[in-house]
Amino acid sequence: MAFRDVNARRHIGLQQLSSLAVAGRTLLGPMKSCKFIVDESTNQSTLICSAVRLIESLDLTTAAGQLLNETIQAQNKEFKTGMSTLLFLAGAWSNAIVECLQQNVPVSAIVSVMTEGLNSCCERVQCLQIAIHDVNKELCSSSVKPNAFKNKTHQIGCDSLLNPQISLYPQKDISAPEEVIPINSCSRQENDCNFNEDLVSPLASFGSIASLVKPAGDRSTSVISGSDVFASSCNKQKLTHSRYFSTLGTCNFSNHQSSFQGYLSGPSADPCECYGLGHLAMALSHGNQASTKLLQSIVKYQQERAEYSGSSQFNIAEIVTCCLLGLPESYSHVSPGFVTLVSPEQATVIKYIEDKPLRILLMDGDLSEQYRHLGFNRPCNVRTILEHPRLQEGREGDLWLSSMLDILISFEVNLVLVKGNVCENLMERCIANSVLVIGSVSRDVLCAFGEVTSAQPVTYLTQVNAGCVGSGAQVELWKVCDGRAMDLGELVPVRIKARGIPLLTAVLTTTVASKMQLIEDQFWTLAYRLHHALNDKKVFLGGGAVELLCLSHIQTLAEQPLEPANKNAMKAFHIPWLAASATEYKSVVLPALASGWKQYLSVVMCNTAKAASELEACTLVDHHLKKAADCGSPSAYIWKEFRRGDLLRGGSGPFADHGVGLNVYDNVTAKTEAWRRALDLVLLVLQTDAEIITGPKRNQLLKSQVSSEFMFL
Amino acid sequence: MSRLEAKKPPLFISEPLTKDKVSHSLSLLSGILRSCYGPAGRLKHLHNGVGGYVCTTSQSSAILSSLSVSHPVLSVLAASVQNHISRFSDCGLFTAILCCSLIENLKSLNVASCTVIKISKHLLGLCMDYLKSEACGCRVAVDFSSVENLLCLVRSVLTSKPACMLNKSEVDHLTMVILKAFMFTVPCHVETDAVLGKCVIVPVKGGRVADSTVLPGLLIETPEIQLVKPLTVKKTCSSMIKIAVFCVSMSGDCFNHEEGTITVHQGISLEMSELDQLLTVGKQLVNDEVGLVVCQKVIHPSLKHYLKENHVIVVDRAGLSLMEPLSRMTGSKPIASIHLLSPSCYGSLKDVCLESFASKHFVHLIPKETVICSLILCNRNETAWDELKRACETAEHVLQLTIKEPLALLGGGCTETHLASYVRHKSVSLSTSSLKDIDCSQAQYQLVADGFCRALESVACSLKHDDGEVLTDMVYGHCWFVPSGFPSVSNWSDVVSKCGCGINGNTENLNWRLLQGQFGSSVIQGCPKVPSVKVADFLTLDCFAAKCSGLQVALETANLILDLSYVIEDQN
Repeated sequence: MAFRDVNARRHIGLQQLSSLAVAGRTLLGPMKSCKFIVDESTNQSTLICSAVRLIESLDLTTAAGQLLNETIQAQNKEFKTGMSTLLFLAGAWSNAIVECLQQNVPVSAIVSVMTEGLNSCCERVQCLQIAIHDVNKELCSSSVKPNAFKNKTHQIGCDSLLNPQISLYPQKDISAPEEVIPINSCSRQENDCNFNEDLVSPLASFGSIASLVKPAGDRSTSVISGSDVFASSCNKQKLTHSRYFSTLGTCNFSNHQSSFQGYLSGPSADPCECYGLGHLAMALSHGNQASTKLLQSIVKYQQERAEYSGSSQFNIAEIVTCCLLGLPESYSHVSPGFVTLVSPEQATVIKYIEDKPLRILLMDGDLSEQYRHLGFNRPCNVRTILEHPRLQEGREGDLWLSSMLDILISFEVNLVLVKGNVCENLMERCIANSVLVIGSVSRDVLCAFGEVTSAQPVTYLTQVNAGCVGSGAQVELWKVCDGRAMDLGELVPVRIKARGIPLLTAVLTTTVASKMQLIEDQFWTLAYRLHHALNDKKVFLGGGAVELLCLSHIQTLAEQPLEPANKNAMKAFHIPWLAASATEYKSVVLPALASGWKQYLSVVMCNTAKAASELEACTLVDHHLKKAADCGSPSAYIWKEFRRGDLLRGGSGPFADHGVGLNVYDNVTAKTEAWRRALDLVLLVLQTDAEIITGPKRNQLLKSQVSSEFMFL
Repeated sequence: MSRLEAKKPPLFISEPLTKDKVSHSLSLLSGILRSCYGPAGRLKHLHNGVGGYVCTTSQSSAILSSLSVSHPVLSVLAASVQNHISRFSDCGLFTAILCCSLIENLKSLNVASCTVIKISKHLLGLCMDYLKSEACGCRVAVDFSSVENLLCLVRSVLTSKPACMLNKSEVDHLTMVILKAFMFTVPCHVETDAVLGKCVIVPVKGGRVADSTVLPGLLIETPEIQLVKPLTVKKTCSSMIKIAVFCVSMSGDCFNHEEGTITVHQGISLEMSELDQLLTVGKQLVNDEVGLVVCQKVIHPSLKHYLKENHVIVVDRAGLSLMEPLSRMTGSKPIASIHLLSPSCYGSLKDVCLESFASKHFVHLIPKETVICSLILCNRNETAWDELKRACETAEHVLQLTIKEPLALLGGGCTETHLASYVRHKSVSLSTSSLKDIDCSQAQYQLVADGFCRALESVACSLKHDDGEVLTDMVYGHCWFVPSGFPSVSNWSDVVSKCGCGINGNTENLNWRLLQGQFGSSVIQGCPKVPSVKVADFLTLDCFAAKCSGLQVALETANLILDLSYVIEDQN
C-alpha cells in the first residue's frame, strides 16, 4: 500500500477541484460559451456546452477529480440541471477554503461553520419561493399586459438570469411569417481572432447561426491547456456580436417560426388558459428559446389531454426525442406518436401498410437466433449428433428464420418494435413479407404502445399468443410540414402512432452534426426543469435573487455577536467541544462561504455582458447588498426589485428600457441540492489528509521517480 | 529436461521489533489510524491510482480491508483488529490505536518482555473488573424504557464518521430512523429464547438523506413493473397471499453444470425440455393458488409470461441476501429444485404493494407480523452513501449488543482518561502479595502501568486533530478539549465548557491539568469520582461490549507482538 500525505497548508485536492472548475466558468448562466474539446491523439473534437459533457470529456485520474465527476453525474442523473452551478461553486468554495487554511483556521471549524451556514441560507431563501399556482397567475397576468413589447419582440432575453425579463413572444408573432428575427451576423471568417466570441453567441436560441461553429481543427483549443483562451473572451467585444447590438437590417435569415406549430393546432384564443405551463416553461428556460417552443407545444398537447383523461399536466415519461441531422433547426417541432429513423429498405414496407390499422408486437430483448434472456448461461458441454443426414433440409439458421416468420405471419403482425437489435437476415425476410421491424426502441416507448394497443411485450417470438399482439397502430412516413425534401443521408424518418397514445416525440433538427448532442441536452434540461418545478410545486425567484439573499443573510450571520458559550450554538453541533472552536472562526469562514455566491453572480454577469469586469460586477452586487441592508428587510427589497425587473442591473445601459417582461424562475430542489452537493464535495476533499493507493499501482509507484512522495507500508 | 532449483533457506529475523523498518511502518500505520479517529477525524481517499471508484472514509473496517501490509507484525495487528470488527463492528480504530500505542510505549521499557506481559495482563484484569463493577464511574446503564440513551448511542456512531456528510438535522433524522428500524427487529412476543430480526438496507444513492425511511417487511427492486397499473393479487380464503420462494435459477439453463459432455440427437432441444419442466412448475403454482412468486435468480420470460397471464405476481433476481429474511418473514421454505415442489414450502403474506423512492421502483412485501424491516437509505453521492451504510450497520449492531448487555460507556475520550486515572490510583497502592504473584518489583509495575495509562490517554488525545489542548480533571478523570485560538492560560475554567462525553459541565473547579503535559502525570488523590448527574441531553456514548472487547484485543495483540522474538520467512 502506498500512502501520500496531501494536506499541507496548500491542499492539493482543493487545488485540483478549483483548477477543474475554471474550465466550466463560461458554462455558467444563460449565456453559455460552447467549447471544443480536442483529443490530441486522435484529433477528434466534440462541442460541449454543459458541465456534464465537459467532465465526461476530461481525463480525471486524481481522487478529487473522480469525486467531482461522481458528484456531477449524480446531480445530472437526479435533476438534469444545476451541474454548471455545482461545478462552479465547488471551485469557488475550494479557493475560499484554501484561503481560510492559510489563515490557520482549523479544518473542523471550517466544516461546521460552512455546513451550518449553508443550512441556514437554504432555510432563509425559502421566503423567495413562490408556489406554481401563483407563478402561473403572475405570468399569465403579465402576458396580457398590452403593447409594452409590441415593437420589441425581437429582443429575446437570453440574459435572463441576471436580467429577469424575457420578452414574451405573443402568439400572433409566432404565426407572423413576415416578422424577422435579427441574427448575429458575425462569422469566424470575418474575424478569426474572435473564435471564442463566436461561440459565445447564443447558439441555442435560433440555430440559424449553426454554420458558425464548424470547427477548423487547428483552431480548436484543448480545454485543459488552453483555459486561459476562454478567459480572454472580452465582454465588450462580445457585445458587438450580440443580437442586441446588431441592427435589424443585418438579418439574413428568414423566420421559420410558423413551422414551430408543427402538427399541433394553431394558437389558442385564450393564451392564458392553455399556456399557464407554457409561460412557466419560458420562465424556466433562461433564454433557451428553441427548446421553449418545443416544450410549450408538448405542454399544450398534454394539458389538452389531461383535461379529458385526468392524467397529470406534464408527464416527462411520455416524451421522446428524435434527432434529425440535415434539416435546419427551425424545423424542430413536436409530433404526437413515435418518430424514429429507419433504413430506406424498411421504408419501402410503409407503402404497403400505410393508412391501415396495424397489428403490433412488442419485444423486450433482441430479435435474433442467438439471443437469450439475461441470466441464461449457455451450456458448453452439449454435443449434438446427426444420425441420418438429409441433404434437402436447409441449414438450421434458415429453419429458425422461417419458423419466426411463420409466427409473425400466422398472427398477422405488421409491426414489430424491438428493444434490442434485430438480426439482419430476419429483417430482410420481414421486409419481403411487408412486416416492419424497428430495433433499438426504448422501454418507455414499448410501454406506451403496450398500454394503448394492449400488446404484451414478449422476449421470444415463440412466446407469442393471440393475447400478446396489439392492434390499432399506424405507420406513416414522417414529412416536413412544408413538404421540403429531406436529405438525411441513409435514414428515413417514420412516425408510428396509435389511437389515444400519449407519447410525444420532440423532433430535433440541425444541420450541424456536432450540435446535435447539445440541442438534445438542452431540450432535456428544460423539460426536466419544468418537471422538477411541478414536482416541487414551487420555484425560486430567478435572476440571482436567491444568491443575493444568501449573501445578505451571511452578512447578518457574521455580524451576530460572538458568544462562545452560546447554548443554541452548542446544540447545533452536537459535539460541544467542536462548537466552541467553530464560533470563534465564524467571522473568517462565513465570508468564505459568501464569496462562492458572489463570484457566481459576478461571473454570470460577466458572461451575460452585464458587467465589463468581475470587479464591476462585484461593485454592483455590493451596491445592491447595501441597499438591501439599508432597506431593513433584505427579502422585501429583493422581492420589490424582482417585481420591477431591476435586480442586479446596471443603472444605465442598453437594457435599461426593456419594457415589461417575463420574470425568470429557478428550480428549488435542484438549486439547493447543487449547492449542497458542491459543498459536500469540497468538505469531503478538505477533510481528507491522505490518499491510500491500493492494488498493482503500488509496485509501479515504488519503482517510479515519484516514490519519494509516497510512504509504503 | 526439467531443471530443479535448490530451495532457498528460510530467513530468520530476530527481535523484529527492534528493527527500524518495523518501528517506522508501525508508527506510520498508527499515524494513519490516529488521524482518522473521532468526529473531527481526517478522511482517506482509497483508490487504485488509475481512475475509477474512490472510497473516502475514516472507518477502520474500510481502511484495514484495503491495506496490504508487508510486514508480519503489521499483519498480526491488522488481522486481530479486523477480527474484532467482524464481531462487534464498533471501536475498531480505538482497538488499533490502543494496540499501536501499547507496543510503542511498552517495547522501550527496560523490563523483560515476559514481565511486561504479566503486568499488563494484571492491569487489564484491573480494568475489566472495574468496568464490570457497579462502582464503575465511566459507564451508564441503558434504560430501554426510554429512547434517550439509545438515541445517544446511535448519534455517537453517526457523528464519529464525518465522511457521511450529515448536517445536524440529518443526523437527528437518521438517528430516529435507525432506532425505529431496530425496534422493528425486536420481537413483540418473547418466548424462551428471543431472536432479533433483521434490518435490510435498501440503497437509494443520489437521494437526500432526509428521505431515508424505514418500512416493515421487505422491498425488492423491480425495474419492470409499471407503477401506473394497480397491483391485483390473488388471495387465499383467509385473505392471505400465498408466496413461493425459489432459490434456484429458473432461467431455463440449469441442466448439468458438472464436468463431462452430454450427447443429444439432433432435433432434441434441451432448452425446450427444460422450459417444459418450468411450465409444469408454473401450472402447479397456479393450481396451488400461489399469488406471488419470488426467485433469487432469473425466471425464464416464458414462465413469467405464463404466470402473469394467470394473475400471479412474479419478482425475479431478488438476490441471495434477501433469501434468509424472506423465508423467515413469510414462513416459506426456499425451493431449491424445479422438479420437486411440495405445497408445504409455501409461505404467506398479508399484502403486496408498489413503492418508489427517487427513481427506483420496488415491490413491497408486507407481512402480518414481523421482525424484518427495510431501511431505505439515501445519500447524495456514492462514496458518502457507502460510508453511511457502514455507519448504519455499525449502529444497528451496537444496539443489538446493547440489548444483550444494557450498558454504555462514556465516549469522547472520557472512558479512556477515567480508566487511566483509576489505574494510576490503583497501581500506587498495589499490595505486596499481588506483586509477588506477578513476580515483579513495585518499580517495574509502576513503569508498565504508566506506559499502559499513557497509551489509554493517547487514544483520547487522538480525538483532537487541530491545534488546541487536551485536559483532564482531577476529580472525575474526564477528558476536556480546549479549542485552538485560546491563549494558554493558567485558569482553564475560563475556556472549557463541557467534557468530551458531555456529562460534566464547567460548574465547579475541577482542577484541570494538561493530559500530556511536561509535568508528568500527577495521581488523583483517591479513586476518580462518579459524576452525580447521569442524564444529560446529548451524551456521547460508546458501546460497552465493543469497547471492552477492544481493550482486551488491543492488549492481548500488543502482548503477542511484544513477545515475538523471531520472524521466520519462507523465501521460496
